[in-house]
Amino acid sequence: MAKDMTLLWGSGSPPCWRIMIVLEEKNLQGYNQKLLSFEKGEHKSKEVMEINPRGQLPAFKCGDVPLNESCAACFHLECKYKSQGTKLIPDCEDEKAQILQRVFEVNALTEKSSIVLYYNWIVPEGERHDSAVKRNKEALTAELKLWEGYLQKASSGFIVGKDFSLADVIVYPTVAYLFQNGLSEQRYPKLAEYYKGLMNRPSIKASWPPTWKNAPKQETLKDI
Amino acid sequence: MAKDMILLWGSGSPPCWRVMIALEEKNLQGYNQKLFSLEKLEHKSKELLDINPRGQLPTFKHGDNVLNESYAACFYLESQFKSQGTKLIPDGPAEQALMYQRMFEGLTFYEKLNVVIYYFFDWFVPEGERHESALKRNKEALVTELRLWEGYLQKLGSGSYLAGPSFTLADVVVFPTVGTVFRFGLSPERYPKLGEYYNLLKERPSVKASWPPHWLESPKGLDTLKDI
Repeated sequence: MAKDMTLLWGSGSPPCWRIMIVLEEKNLQGYNQKLLSFEKGEHKSKEVMEINPRGQLPAFKCGDVPLNESCAACFHLECKYKSQGTKLIPDCEDEKAQILQRVFEVNALTEKSSIVLYYNWIVPEGERHDSAVKRNKEALTAELKLWEGYLQKASSGFIVGKDFSLADVIVYPTVAYLFQNGLSEQRYPKLAEYYKGLMNRPSIKASWPPTWKNAPKQETLKDI
Repeated sequence: MAKDMILLWGSGSPPCWRVMIALEEKNLQGYNQKLFSLEKLEHKSKELLDINPRGQLPTFKHGDNVLNESYAACFYLESQFKSQGTKLIPDGPAEQALMYQRMFEGLTFYEKLNVVIYYFFDWFVPEGERHESALKRNKEALVTELRLWEGYLQKLGSGSYLAGPSFTLADVVVFPTVGTVFRFGLSPERYPKLGEYYNLLKERPSVKASWPPHWLESPKGLDTLKDI
């Protein structure tokens, strides 16, 4: 059960956060966990590499089985613990289809926001171009408008349907991360409503990134 | 059933190929389909945008259900048609977990491949923004990734699929990427386990039936990856 699980994680990392939300939702509190620091390079430590040869966080083990990809862990946990805690994937095939679609669309949102947030980290100085920065910002803006549109159509405070689902598990940490990095609540009111609406959900509150609690928000995305 | 489905696809696109393999495995041949030309940028047409506001392929619809993300479509098909065709999600928890893990690592594999093979395409990197240093770095990252997969297959032994003894969703979603690496000239001598896996899967009926038509027309392929 929870005692057979180990999670090595970093504060504020959406993939780590997703797993923590699922563990809370499935009543699997009490799992072994260790908070590591990206800044200190602890994600490349021996301890992490033993579970995740890619040297990335999350590094998660369910018994002996490594599940280091956050979506893999979330899907597996929902399947294995289907009968306990919140039902994250409904039986209704139509709703399931919408949930699956949104879950996998998050990849586009993650990629487009990462290339803007981390441009100077990912791209060495001699390879940077203003044309690329501009294009990346425009792509992120278009992507955010899509999600703003999805939430416009949503009616119950969840990304799909009337209940909290796996789609929210995957989407919420990414959206919260964007606001933590200065995304404008005025320009993206539906996203902001979604972000604030789920902030106090027990699983989200319990797993809120500790380093965000007293830290001021970054401003990187304020002009997007 | 299949007649209520429509797939808009492009030849040689791994995401499209994934959905086609899944449809074959679930005995859903006879679905409506339309082949778009990726070169002629037909994928921005109105017909496509009406179903997929992102204007991307694959675009898949079953009745009112729209699944434009290939992984979403594959999971959906396995769930909706669980009782027919091949069982694509194994029951054993360890095998199932490994399947999920490899499926999602498959996304990383696909991304690392694309930044090498499409580096010189304008829609990927405009000419003025290309750098030898970037391409070199991307190639090194791809080699690291390929070695990881080579290791995964080594551990499981000959004749194995990605998650163990049975063909699963992991193979559905990752094989198209493997097919593409060899199409672009990867050396099976340097990556023997991947070569073995490729030879095993290319004979599978669902893979054969959905093999990219333009690859059949010109079997030779490219040599972008021959030296890595």
